[in-house]
Amino acid sequence: MKLTRRDAIGALSAAGITALAGCESFGGDGTETESGDGTDTAGGGGGATMALAEVLYPSEAEVTEAYLDTYLYSRMVDEDAYRSELEAGIETLDSLAQEADGSPFADLSVDQRVNLIEDTDLRSGDSVPDGTDIQRVNYHLIDELLFAFYASPTGGELVGNTNPRGWPGGFGYVPNGGPQ
Amino acid sequence: MSGSQSSGSVDRTPVEGADVCVVGSGPAGAHVAHSLASEGHSVVVLEAGERFDMESRVDRMKAQIHPEHGVDEIWDMGGDRDAYTSSGELEIPLNKRRVKGIGGTSLHWGGVTPRFREKDFEMQTRHGVGVDWPISYSDLQPYYAEVEQEIGVKGPDDAPHQPPREADYPMDAMPLSFTDQLFAEAGDAIDVDVQSAPMAINDGTYDRNQCLGYGTCEHVCPSGAKYTAERHVDKAEREGATVIDRVPVQRLEHGPDGEAVTAAVYVTPDGTEHRQQADVFVAAAGAYETPRLLLLSDSEQYPDGLANSSGTVGRYFLDHPTGGVIGLLPEQETHQDEYGPVISSVIYQYYEGEALSERGAINMMLINVAGESPAEMAMRSSAIGDDLLAQIDGQYGNTIGVIMNVEMLPDADNRLTLDESTTDNHGNPVPEISLDAGDYALNAVETGQQVGQELVEEMGGNVLFQGGNLDLSPDEMIEDSKGGYHPMGGTRMGTDPETSVVDSNLKAHDLSNLYIASGGVFPTAGAANPTLTIMALARRCGEHIHDNEF
Repeated sequence: MKLTRRDAIGALSAAGITALAGCESFGGDGTETESGDGTDTAGGGGGATMALAEVLYPSEAEVTEAYLDTYLYSRMVDEDAYRSELEAGIETLDSLAQEADGSPFADLSVDQRVNLIEDTDLRSGDSVPDGTDIQRVNYHLIDELLFAFYASPTGGELVGNTNPRGWPGGFGYVPNGGPQ
Repeated sequence: MSGSQSSGSVDRTPVEGADVCVVGSGPAGAHVAHSLASEGHSVVVLEAGERFDMESRVDRMKAQIHPEHGVDEIWDMGGDRDAYTSSGELEIPLNKRRVKGIGGTSLHWGGVTPRFREKDFEMQTRHGVGVDWPISYSDLQPYYAEVEQEIGVKGPDDAPHQPPREADYPMDAMPLSFTDQLFAEAGDAIDVDVQSAPMAINDGTYDRNQCLGYGTCEHVCPSGAKYTAERHVDKAEREGATVIDRVPVQRLEHGPDGEAVTAAVYVTPDGTEHRQQADVFVAAAGAYETPRLLLLSDSEQYPDGLANSSGTVGRYFLDHPTGGVIGLLPEQETHQDEYGPVISSVIYQYYEGEALSERGAINMMLINVAGESPAEMAMRSSAIGDDLLAQIDGQYGNTIGVIMNVEMLPDADNRLTLDESTTDNHGNPVPEISLDAGDYALNAVETGQQVGQELVEEMGGNVLFQGGNLDLSPDEMIEDSKGGYHPMGGTRMGTDPETSVVDSNLKAHDLSNLYIASGGVFPTAGAANPTLTIMALARRCGEHIHDNEF
């Protein structure tokens, strides 16, 4: 299952974000790139967020740059505060990765990323919007990526739910018309 | 006219020459204000909370789904402004049950809109318990019809166990959800009637967004399909009413002879105190804040609080004690969350009948959101990747649930008082709630839960959770099962000034120009979700004020 830009737009719609102004891409290395509308986007960190999403999402979901770029970039356009949280979160991930394995988060192997998450308070610690560095990563990056996936049909269908809570998929949907 | 918003700044000074001052902009205040503004009266509405924008509601919805956020955070409740004390048998998580803002608690209600039944107005006469209301169902029926048209209600025209109707509902009934159908099939087997719930959710018939199916009606509807009192605040403003937000009213003042209220004293966000004068005052700040406001308005002439010569302000407080049954159907996918609205069907079969001399009425609501959603499970877990998916897949998909509200009897010892040991951000004592529901309600919970269990077992399922705030300790309960959703009483209506606060027109017995529009005027609680009745009473009150005060 490939997560496409279309999936991301759907997730953005669920999150109420409509500002999809001509985005192109984050630099895969986290460097500053220019979006389609000529706005500079300070390093959204497609590499780090891609590396994070790859271990958060199930293996059958193939995370694409288009998916993350669309979702995260548009959140940044919609909300300046989110841009700084995203940048700070990636900085925290890189700092943890450097400390553990001597490389930026995006350069770690899958096993190293999993170990890093298991060995720290990432995921297992609290998730607080204005908490410690790791608590903010949990809230603004990890939970945000999980919401985008599991509060949309993309992730919902994997557990048998095509219109999960949080997704504006329509009113009064009854699968197969009801119990057979 | 002052008090109106302008670009860049908001004028929160009093309106000169106001006919009517309404304190509170929830369902009661909004409908009184709209009713009177439509008749050409100069109306000013004072609201303690802010005017929430639509754009923030998706984030509020996400906060609801996020396991780290409490319900109180969704609409920014809490802190010194909203401090309270809960000291009775029943723990009331007050700030998770109310909203301060334009639209009031209708911002986070579920939108379930049954009428009270004929028996609800005649409990003493029919069943020898409680008291009769000073008005009957037929007195209120035209206003029920008016409100249903005003707000837009989807409902079943020919379903059983409903009070008499004069016309069809404004919108077609809610279709049965997947689990409603499971309940209906099981109900057929054991003679339990499942029927569509009356709901104030727009299906496209009304001039507001239609339901998009976020599945979070309670506590926030990002699409705007669920009715909120913001609609009638807006309509009142278009009829010329002035609505001032973020101005908590501190007290009501009366004239030297003590016969009439002369001003509502409020404070603006910058701390400036103002006095809003008017010919008529309507206290519509909800059943928690209205008695508190009256008690805070004590004076030399009224040392026990305004409108309190009976000593009943704050007494006979009521709520709907809760119960619930969550079942697991091992062999059956239940498709929770997928329908959209959180409730679409109900069981009203146990609302009336001879049993009401022994137990309260039961209002059973079948929920389409039993258990956590996939996103909530994902965020709450510590797992990642395939392990996380497997965990969610194992937890999601087979739950089913019914929640219930039951009737409790009025009791003078159930009361709201002022906790003088704790003050809010303006130095006013906070409300203290002390509530003990009693056996009449407990008997109803037990009956309702027995029915819920039989339905789950008829489906071949097992009961995972069963209980409510009468048969479990607060520590054993999930947050949703704790009470406080439907505060009523505390400023009850009656014909006798010795035992009630307002008369049948909601006018205070003690003062010539003070009305109370609120669930606080209910003499008994019924079991039906009270908001439709609150709005019907408010429109009736507005009409009375128009006909008699000017």
